[in-house]
Amino acid sequence: MGTNNTTIDYKKERSAYYKVLIGLLLLTAVTFIQPHLFMTESTFVAQMAIAVVKAWLIIMYYMHLKGDSLIGVMGIFSLVIVATFFIIVIGFDVANFQYGAESHITGPASAGVEHATPVHH
Amino acid sequence: MSKSYFDETHTAIGHPKSTFMQWMLTVDHKRIGIMYAAVMFTFFFVAVATAFLMRLELFAPGAQYIDGDTFNQAFTLHGVIMIFLFIVPGIPAVLGNIVMPLMIGAKDVSFPRLNWFTFWLYILGCIIALASLFTDAGFADTGWTFYAPYSLTTSTNVIFTLVAAFVLGMASILTGLNFLVTIHRLRAPGMTFFKMPLFVWGIYATAWIQLLATPVVGITLILAIMEKYFGIGIFDPSKGGDPVLFEHLFWIYSHPAVYLMILPAFGIMSEIIPTFSRREIFGYRTIALSSASIAGIGYLVWGHHLYTSGMADIAKTIFSFLTFFVAIPTGIKFYDWIATMYKGKIVLSTPMLWALGTIITFTIGGLTGVTIAMIGVDIHLQDTYYTVAHFHYAMLGGVVFLFFAGLHYWFPLITGKMYNETHAKIAFYLQFVGFNLLWFPMFIAGYYGMPRRYFDYLPEFQIYHQISFVGAVIFITGLTYMFVVFFKGWRSGKPSGTNPWNATTLEWHMPSSPPPLENHSKVPYVDFNPYEYHHGEPVVKFDYETMKRID
Amino acid sequence: MSHEYIPEIATSRDGTKYEVQGWQDDFYGGKLGFWLFMFTEVLMFGAMFMVLAYYNTLHPHEFLEASASLNRLLGGINTVILLVSALTMGLSLLKMRVGDVKGAKLMIYATMLLALAFLVIKGFEWRAEYNHGIFLMHGEMLPESGMAFGKKLFFGMYFTMTGIHGFHIIIGIGLMIWLLKRINAGKVSPEHHILHWNIALYWDIVHLIWVFVFPYYYMIGAGGVTGGH
Repeated sequence: MGTNNTTIDYKKERSAYYKVLIGLLLLTAVTFIQPHLFMTESTFVAQMAIAVVKAWLIIMYYMHLKGDSLIGVMGIFSLVIVATFFIIVIGFDVANFQYGAESHITGPASAGVEHATPVHH
Repeated sequence: MSKSYFDETHTAIGHPKSTFMQWMLTVDHKRIGIMYAAVMFTFFFVAVATAFLMRLELFAPGAQYIDGDTFNQAFTLHGVIMIFLFIVPGIPAVLGNIVMPLMIGAKDVSFPRLNWFTFWLYILGCIIALASLFTDAGFADTGWTFYAPYSLTTSTNVIFTLVAAFVLGMASILTGLNFLVTIHRLRAPGMTFFKMPLFVWGIYATAWIQLLATPVVGITLILAIMEKYFGIGIFDPSKGGDPVLFEHLFWIYSHPAVYLMILPAFGIMSEIIPTFSRREIFGYRTIALSSASIAGIGYLVWGHHLYTSGMADIAKTIFSFLTFFVAIPTGIKFYDWIATMYKGKIVLSTPMLWALGTIITFTIGGLTGVTIAMIGVDIHLQDTYYTVAHFHYAMLGGVVFLFFAGLHYWFPLITGKMYNETHAKIAFYLQFVGFNLLWFPMFIAGYYGMPRRYFDYLPEFQIYHQISFVGAVIFITGLTYMFVVFFKGWRSGKPSGTNPWNATTLEWHMPSSPPPLENHSKVPYVDFNPYEYHHGEPVVKFDYETMKRID
Repeated sequence: MSHEYIPEIATSRDGTKYEVQGWQDDFYGGKLGFWLFMFTEVLMFGAMFMVLAYYNTLHPHEFLEASASLNRLLGGINTVILLVSALTMGLSLLKMRVGDVKGAKLMIYATMLLALAFLVIKGFEWRAEYNHGIFLMHGEMLPESGMAFGKKLFFGMYFTMTGIHGFHIIIGIGLMIWLLKRINAGKVSPEHHILHWNIALYWDIVHLIWVFVFPYYYMIGAGGVTGGH
């Protein structure tokens, strides 16, 4: 198939790749330090936030999405759909699990195992 | 005599000499669409036969011809074939493939070899699905919905069907992908999105659902296989797994899937109504945007299948509200179609009959859906014959009826011939009457408590089953009759010419009938709207050798 | 699909000429198609993350304990390996685009090596877990074991997701082998490199998935069992 007909600035693009690499390595280091250093009460949120920043760098620069508005909009649409599933199922349904007292799968703490009867397959 | 796409073709591999291999290896979107139709309708009749077997068994209470376990396998087979092998590929695979590229002035889809590969992936899926009929364990008996925990514990052959559904899902994804790129990249110069015919809008919105919703059921099937064979625990209560999660994942796809089915069908309606009312469609933009919004909002309503499964009350309420909401864009379309017909010169050819019949049957299907969107009502009607009647009115009386309408409408384009109009009309009336006799009593039976997927029932329900059976006989007669009309038309019908309906959209401006391999002789420049009529006559006229406007 | 495709010209009524985009020679179309395919991967892994989050919500403490028991050192090494491999793959594409075909191939070999290293380390991890009695249909993961529900579900999804991710890495290695063959056959070149572009994109998404898999599984329990709410 054909090419995209722009002239390529090799040095500029290569330095962009390396800059992003350093950024990603730094963020990975932060990932390891974070649980002991900051936001220690909300590690999950911090970790996901770092992951999102890493993802943004990868998508914009490694995957060359910077400047491509059509595919960008489609990507946002896909992410909104996934987010909606999360919000509804996790945020509204299981977060308000209303049969916790009777349910076998949410037995008191880890004692669910006491009710576990071997199931034949 | 100029050559048509039946005389020559492009192939994926090599330059085969035999006609058979030319069909097997063809990458031409028109031939691929025909092959899809041939396979799909063969399986369609297998599923119809299975349904007839069930109707026969249910004619009287008690066991007459088959036992309860076989009955369970029968409704599973019926559902799996109808949904995964027939209606999901459905209109996009046949009419989307054949007609859509012609409507946008393209020479093929964006990835013709991928199209070829996708067709054979579909065939593989069909083979895997039906292979389990011939194994010792027998076909799955879980219903096409494979709910955990039963699907995990049953000894029938669920894995074949799960794998088949995955493969068929991949084919659906790739079709959607191909169509999305085609519509974005290959529209004729000048054809902006809002100059596309509404069938293309329907295929476009559908392709987004094919692409994004199907992976969810794909992974759900994989997770079900992982659960059944590797015990990962997520759907198995003995390890803390929640069967309701399976239902969430399953319906996150399967609800958008019904919009995937109906959107192309609505696209067909939007083509037929203006042509046979001889005027411009009313509300082009709102119909186009309503297709897009149905595709979007349709992702949000799946929980209405889970009202009785143990979801949190707040979740049920949200889903109920959203489900009512999604009915609005569909309603807009119906009003626009009726407004189009108002003061039009109605031509009651067979495609128009099917379209008008669908307005009646889909309205019933849609409205009964709205009734069970109410949580309280659904508690009573869930898993009864009311639900069964609702979705058959919507899917059979909506999607399939419009599929038939589209087949009648584009028959001359595809074959270059015309079917017998009188016989086609008789087939329509037989099916319309039979359909309503078959399904309408089920609303009443369901309301009085007849459960679905039940092999036996109390004697008070027998009258409904008997009326349904009579309806089934009439309906199947009409169905068969219609296909005989098609075959005879193709074999020995009169040549139709390139534009027998005097319609406006680009697929009717081919240089010869049936179309040549490379479609239009030249790609036109599109500076007109798709449905321009003036006093009942098309405004835009072309010279078919240069595709320049001569009006 | 020859490389001598000549696009058609459409003429409007006022004489202006427009080049018709054909399905042949459509670089942007090839790119768009592959991005759409990658969105399906996002939906697929997104659904799996949702299953994980579902049970996380029902069993918050057990998830933290299970997470804490994973080998963060090996997981971290794999994270860096994949990160560097994304660089090498990107550089291979860049070199191809400027005409350095030999350099491009070298970088592809480097990527493949790193990918294999990733798989080997993953294998070590799984083997260690197996020896601790934690593996599918084995030891603690059987229904009759005493391990808590939350942990069983955590590990069930752990093996599933790292397994499917590893499967995608194997496919990636296969794609790279195929890419090398196409380059050697002259079908992929600086003038026609859409295949290379798309395989690089594929590798980026494999990396992207790990960017989320790693913290969710390995890091949420890293600060001790409180680690959050």
